[in-house]
Amino acid sequence: MVTYEWRRALAKKKFYVLVILTLVLQIGLFALFSYFFTNPPPGFVGSPLEEMKASMWLVGVLGLQGLFIPLIAIVIAGGSMSEEYERGTADILLSKPITKMEYMTGKFLGGLSLLGFVIVLITILGTTLAYGLFGPQESIQFVPVIYLVLLYSNLLFFSMTFMFSEVFRRTTLSIMAVIGIFVASLFIGGILSMMHLMTQEQLYLEISKWLPNWSVSNLPSFVASELITAPESPFVSVPGGDIQLAAAIIAVYTIASILIAALKLVRSDVTKRTG
Amino acid sequence: MSPQSVLAVSNLTKFYGDFKALDSVSFAVEKGWIYGYLGPNGAGKTTTIRTMLGLLRPDQGEVQIDGVNPAKNPVHALKSVGYAPELPTLQTFFSGEQLMEFIGKMFGLAAQARKARIKQLLDLVGLKEWGDKKIGKYSKGMVQRLSLALALINDPLVLIMDEPTIGMDPEGTAHFRNLFTSLSKEGKTIFISSHLLDEVQRICTHVGMINKGKMVFNGLITQVLETFTKQWVIEAELKTVTKTMITAIKNLDYVEDVKVDENKLRIELKEKKDLRGEISSEIFKRKGVLLSLNLHKITLEDAYLRALKGDQ
Repeated sequence: MVTYEWRRALAKKKFYVLVILTLVLQIGLFALFSYFFTNPPPGFVGSPLEEMKASMWLVGVLGLQGLFIPLIAIVIAGGSMSEEYERGTADILLSKPITKMEYMTGKFLGGLSLLGFVIVLITILGTTLAYGLFGPQESIQFVPVIYLVLLYSNLLFFSMTFMFSEVFRRTTLSIMAVIGIFVASLFIGGILSMMHLMTQEQLYLEISKWLPNWSVSNLPSFVASELITAPESPFVSVPGGDIQLAAAIIAVYTIASILIAALKLVRSDVTKRTG
Repeated sequence: MSPQSVLAVSNLTKFYGDFKALDSVSFAVEKGWIYGYLGPNGAGKTTTIRTMLGLLRPDQGEVQIDGVNPAKNPVHALKSVGYAPELPTLQTFFSGEQLMEFIGKMFGLAAQARKARIKQLLDLVGLKEWGDKKIGKYSKGMVQRLSLALALINDPLVLIMDEPTIGMDPEGTAHFRNLFTSLSKEGKTIFISSHLLDEVQRICTHVGMINKGKMVFNGLITQVLETFTKQWVIEAELKTVTKTMITAIKNLDYVEDVKVDENKLRIELKEKKDLRGEISSEIFKRKGVLLSLNLHKITLEDAYLRALKGDQ
C-alpha cells in the first residue's frame, strides 16, 4: 500500500505545482538574501545580522514551515482515503485479503513517507543553496535532527487532513476543512497574541498555544534554538519556546485524528462511488 | 448450507437508514455452479454482493465463503474470491500489468508465479498488447476485460461478478460467455449479477431472483422456467388478417387469447402443448396465407417478469 499511495499522490498535478512552487520560493528567498548580503545597506557591514550568513541553511530549511510544507501535507493527505471512495476503487482494494487497519496504515505511511521525501528535497536544496551562496555553514550536523522535527511537526496537519478525508469521504471538502482550520487558527492566534500584548493576560497566550498552527510553526524553531548556539536568526529564536508542550500538542492532535479515522473506517460501510 | 456450498448467504438483512435494502435473503451456491442473480434496478443485487465481500456490514444474517465469514475474517475468506465490480473504475495511474502486479502482491503471489499469471490472464482476456499501457487510455470494454483478469489473478474458488458484460461489444460478450463456461468446467463457482436475461439463460445453471430486497426465486434455471410457465405462445405471420379469422381462432378450445399486431397474431395457448398443426389447419380453413408460424415456450424474461409480479 505504501508504494500504491506514492503513485496515487504523484499522479496529481496539484502536488507537483505545490512542490515546484515551494522550491521556487525557496530559491527566491535565497536570491533575496544573497542580494541583500552582496549589496548591504549602509551600517549593515559588520552588524550581527551579517553573522547570520553562517547559519543560512536554517533559513532555507525552516523558512517554508509556516505555510508551504503544511499545505503540501494537506494536499497529499487530502485525497488519500476519499479519492478511493469517490472513484470507486475502495471496493477493489477492500475486497482483497487485507484488513481495514492494514489498508489504512499502508495509506497513512505511504502519504507520510512521500511528505518526508518532499521535506528531504527542501532540506537538501536549502542546505546546498546556503553553502553555494553564503559559504561554509555552521551546526550543519543538526540537519538530520531538524529534518525529523520538521516531519514530526507536519504530522499534525497531515493526520488531520487524513482524518477528514476518511470522515467526509470527499477530497475537496476535507482539504477545504483543514485549510479553514489552518487559516482560522492563524487568525485567532493573531487576535489572542494582540489581546495578550494589550492586557498582559497570560491566559490568551496559553490558549493560542493549543491552536494547531502554534506548535506546527514553532516546534522546529524551538528545537533549532535549543541545539544551535550560533548567532541568532529571526527564524531560529522564538521567545517563550516550549519544546515539550509543542511536541505534546502535535502528538495529541495526531493521535486523536488517527483514532477518529480508524474508528470511522472500521465501524462504517465502504461507500459506493461518489465521484 | 450444504457441505458442498462454497458460497452461502443466510438470512441477510441490510438497512440504509430506514430503507430495508435486503430482507432475510438466503441462498447457497455449490462448487461448479454458474449462479445468475437477477433483479430490477434497486432490487438489492449490488447490496448483496457488497455484503458478501464484507464491504457492507449486514444488520442481520451472515455470509460464508468456503466456510469463512468475510466480515469476521476478511483475509482468510477473500483469499479464495475474485471480484469484478459493475462498470469498474480502475486506478488510471497504473498500467494494466502494474495493477495486476499490485493486486497479485495483495494476494501474496510469489514474484515468478505473478509474472506468469499476469501474462496468461492478459492473453486470456485479449489485452496482451495493452498490458504496458496506462489504464487511462483503455476503452470501457477493455477496462471490463482487465477487471475480469484482476478477478482471476488469485485463481479463485469463487468468482463474483456484478454485470460483467455490460457495455461490452458482442464479440467480447461471446468471449466472456465461453470463458465463464470453461471456468465452471474447471470447478470454479461463478456468481453473476446481471439484467441481461438472455446471457443468463445461455450460461447459468442456477438462478436467484430478488425484488425489493426479497428473494422471489432460487433454484435450477430449468426449474424457474417450469415454475413460471403458464402457457406457450404461437406467433403466426399472415399475408392478411381478417376479423373472422381472429374470432375463429379465439373461439378454439385450446386458445386463451389472441393479440394482433398488423399481420401478426400472438396466440396464447391454454396448455403447454405444441399446437402449430391445429392452428395452421384453422388458418388454411379460413383461406389465410401463412408466411411463418413459430412456437414460443417461456423465456427467462417471461419467467422473470412473472416472478417479480409474484405470479406463479
